[in-house]
Amino acid sequence: MIKVVNLHKSFGQLHVLKGVNFSVAPSEVVCVIGPSGSGKSTLLRCINQLETADSGHVYIDGEELTHPKTDINQIRQQVGMVFQLFNLFPHKTTLENITLAPIKIKGLDKSAAENRAMDLLGKVGLTDKAHVYPSKLSGGQKQRVAIARALAMQPKVMLFDEPTSALDPEMVGEVLAVMQNLAVEGMTMVVVTHEMGFAREVGDRVVFMDEGIIVEEGSPDDIFDNPRNPRTQAFLSKVL
Amino acid sequence: MPCLELFNLGFLDSITSQYGYKVVMQNLGYFLGGAWYTTFITALALAMGMVLGLFAGLGKLSSNRLIYSLSTAYIDFFRGTPLFVQIFLLYFGVLPLIYYNDPISSAIIALGLNSGAYIGEIVRAGIQAVDTGQMEAARSLGMNQRQAMTYVILPQAFKIVIPPMINEFIALLKDSSLVSAITVPELMHRGDLVFANTYQATWVFGAIAVIYFVITKTISVLGDWVERRLATD
Amino acid sequence: MRKFSRLFLASLLVFALIFTIVGCGGPAEEKVLKVGTNATFPPFEMQENNEFTGFDMDLIRAIGEEQGYKVEINHMDFKALIPALGNNKIHAAIAGMSITPERLESVDFTDAYFNAGLIIAVANSNDTIKSTEDLKGKKLAAQNGTIGAAYCDSVKEQDPNTVVRVFDDIGAAFMELEKGGVDAVVNDHPVTAYYLKTTETTKAKMVGDIFSADDQYGIAVKKGNQEILDMLNEGLQKIRDNGKYDEIYKKWF
Repeated sequence: MIKVVNLHKSFGQLHVLKGVNFSVAPSEVVCVIGPSGSGKSTLLRCINQLETADSGHVYIDGEELTHPKTDINQIRQQVGMVFQLFNLFPHKTTLENITLAPIKIKGLDKSAAENRAMDLLGKVGLTDKAHVYPSKLSGGQKQRVAIARALAMQPKVMLFDEPTSALDPEMVGEVLAVMQNLAVEGMTMVVVTHEMGFAREVGDRVVFMDEGIIVEEGSPDDIFDNPRNPRTQAFLSKVL
Repeated sequence: MPCLELFNLGFLDSITSQYGYKVVMQNLGYFLGGAWYTTFITALALAMGMVLGLFAGLGKLSSNRLIYSLSTAYIDFFRGTPLFVQIFLLYFGVLPLIYYNDPISSAIIALGLNSGAYIGEIVRAGIQAVDTGQMEAARSLGMNQRQAMTYVILPQAFKIVIPPMINEFIALLKDSSLVSAITVPELMHRGDLVFANTYQATWVFGAIAVIYFVITKTISVLGDWVERRLATD
Repeated sequence: MRKFSRLFLASLLVFALIFTIVGCGGPAEEKVLKVGTNATFPPFEMQENNEFTGFDMDLIRAIGEEQGYKVEINHMDFKALIPALGNNKIHAAIAGMSITPERLESVDFTDAYFNAGLIIAVANSNDTIKSTEDLKGKKLAAQNGTIGAAYCDSVKEQDPNTVVRVFDDIGAAFMELEKGGVDAVVNDHPVTAYYLKTTETTKAKMVGDIFSADDQYGIAVKKGNQEILDMLNEGLQKIRDNGKYDEIYKKWF
């Protein structure tokens, strides 16, 4: 479903991605862990081209994202993204946040879009907040709305960029629960996270990145119980 | 209270018997007519400026070299030269070339061009003030640049620019007094004429100042009200 | 810190003392006549090479000399002249000011020192306007504060179709004439004549006779300032008597 080939990315002098090769199978849940500055967010953002790689290729369901002739907006409709800081549209209600893209991009009419939106709000447990503005929601609620908003476009892949890092601890659980349901339903997901519990429980594969390369990857059991690379061991000993 | 009454009468009389007071009162309607011109001209110029400013501001953020250069040149010129000079050059230099002589509409055009440059900067700053995450969220849903701007960025920028826009309205209103030099019958010009006939500087220009203040204060209050109405957070 | 501020205060006082002593002494008291003008009204007052020249300028200097005053001329915006009189920043204002009953309510004027008449100027190609009769219903320009402006208003009263445009600057009024925005400029004859002569404009000409020759210029002083008023009137009379006035008049007209 996703294939990343030899990706390089620098920000000025800083070489952030140093030749990353990465792939995700359909319905696979891949969790990317690693210290800050390792390039994990950059890798994720290259997958929907919020960052443009300096060299290398990215393929989504066979189509090459990095090809100059590709309509990036078309491809992005298939790749949903959830941000650490939610990025909900403050001038729109919860419902409007979710229906905006389907109406304007997919051309759905308002009632169809709203029906879909209410279903999604039901899935994330927030139907009673449909007509509320984001400023009145808690962090956990905002993130659940953000997930519903991304799902409204019926993407093939969902990318999560540290979705719970900005949340108070008591709200982390509600968001992870939604993500777990999504995984169970078969969504292909790439999650950059520090929530090791989630990675172990829900992840099919764990990828450890450090200093711009993938150092080690494997099943959660392999990575968490038997890390082979000393850098992986060092990192895990600090966080577990 | 009888003593107060006597005091008040005497005090008031000493004011109303003054020549300057009479001059102002006799010309009050004339001045208010000028105030109407001032407000009307400023409002139209501001509307023109908002349209120009929107394009200029977006232009300065464009990656298209030509659009960027044109917008920057326009903004730099009209912000970098004195408004008085712009009015004069337009009215006596440029417009006569197409045989255009009307002072009032010339004034509106000059003020509009000038205001558009300042508003262009306000728009640019307003757009840049919108959190970058908003654009990222909009694009990641699959919106193109135009859709993201129209549905997500500009509506938020709009709220951000209201205070500076109100300021621009007030500044433009005061600057509009410069068009008295091309004989537009607005407030300042009428004040000049009455002053020249009577030499009552303090009374006449004092009255003019009060009228300007009333107008700007009204705009200011309206602006606050608009801001509050639009606040959803 | 306290020691420092005391020292500072002390030195400040010492400096103040020194300055007052030095200031109070100095050369013998000279009578100074501070005069205000708006030097944009040739040939009565203008600026050339940082000097104030013109009929009014020569006149006030002659009066000053006659009366034993050193004349200091300050240029300012026309609007600022009257308040400057009021605040005693200047003792007198001379700026081609016409004496009118309304103005006499606000300032005192000396005796008239000049009789100006009005003249019409039109574009060279204009053959329809030949006299004051032809001004009705036309577009007229005048200079703010002149009798010309008042005259144009009276024409408008007779024919409401008349358009009157009042400019601060005579140059602007003529620019308007030249670009066809108005049909005629009505202004004080000496000013118009001088303007056409010195700018060598081939685009405008004077038509008709000098009219409204009862426009009189005076020097303005603060209302109630009898001392200066009398001094100026006396000086004016003296230079009329001894021929200095005629000399200045011949120089400029």
